[in-house]
Amino acid sequence: MLVKVLAFAGFREILGKERELSLNESVTVKELLAELAVATPRFKEAAFDESGALRDYVLLMINRKLIDSRQDLSRPLQEGDELAIFPPLAGG
Amino acid sequence: MLSDSEKKRYSRQIRLFGEDGQEKLKRTRVFIAGAGGLGSVISIYMAAAGFGKIRICDCDAVELSNLNRQILHANADVSRPKALSAYETLTGINPEIEVEAEVQTISEDNIDQLLLGSDLIMDAMDNFPVRYLLNRAALKRKIPLFHGAISGYQGQATTIIPGKTACLSCIFPRAPPAATFPALGSTCGIIGSIQVTEAVKYVTGTGKLLENRLLLWDGLNACLDEMACERNSVCRDCSE
Ligand SMILES: [Zn+2]
Repeated sequence: MLVKVLAFAGFREILGKERELSLNESVTVKELLAELAVATPRFKEAAFDESGALRDYVLLMINRKLIDSRQDLSRPLQEGDELAIFPPLAGG
Repeated sequence: MLSDSEKKRYSRQIRLFGEDGQEKLKRTRVFIAGAGGLGSVISIYMAAAGFGKIRICDCDAVELSNLNRQILHANADVSRPKALSAYETLTGINPEIEVEAEVQTISEDNIDQLLLGSDLIMDAMDNFPVRYLLNRAALKRKIPLFHGAISGYQGQATTIIPGKTACLSCIFPRAPPAATFPALGSTCGIIGSIQVTEAVKYVTGTGKLLENRLLLWDGLNACLDEMACERNSVCRDCSE
């Protein structure tokens, strides 16, 4: 199945604005993020902590709707889904 | 009632929302948290637009490295308190409004006093711990919080209406780490202007607010996106 990944802010500089990935059926959000981390070490460094967990402040959105980045990591992605990843900004 | 000079000063925006709308702005008391990059843009446009009472708070003094973006302050203001420099700039732009400058660090201890009498809160902070404090205060007082943040070419904004929309903690449950962010004045200009536009719409009752919508600006690619958000039923700050 095809899934689109949309990256924002600092992640966009690493991953590019968007990319389409061809995945096996029933891949979860967590597995997709792990796949991106393996393919792009700079993304791994930016998005994951030393223990290998997604940094807890990173926002995830499926089809432009915010999901719970703790509870919804095990959510399986569907054909055509768009996963957006965003590290919130804090400057003023 | 608007004076003759006020009718003249605001004539181009009275075309937008009428004298009635202008009087609403005049009656509105705003609290601007921060007189830095976002606070400069927010306070200048709010003063010029005629929000009747502006209280602006910042604990810092102006540094040379602020001047690439903090257009409230001039070269001669370096090492002066930002709030005082803000006071002079804002009253210089519009002597017909009331400006109050507070040289204070916003904290749990003084936030009630700082917000006393305010109808809305403009978020121009540079860190999440104080933003969460503003969020809780907005929820407690049931007044809107106009959120904005920037880093480099990137910006985000949303409008928080207590009891109606997701609060700041629903959207950002955990704070990103503190850091010294790259900052560009024109990015502050875009995000601060969006926040002021939201406040004008809220007060005059026009348009569609950024409610439950997180706006993401990417200046590097010149792209604007929005994400839908909703109240978290177990939010630490806004769930009953
Ligand atoms: Zn909440």
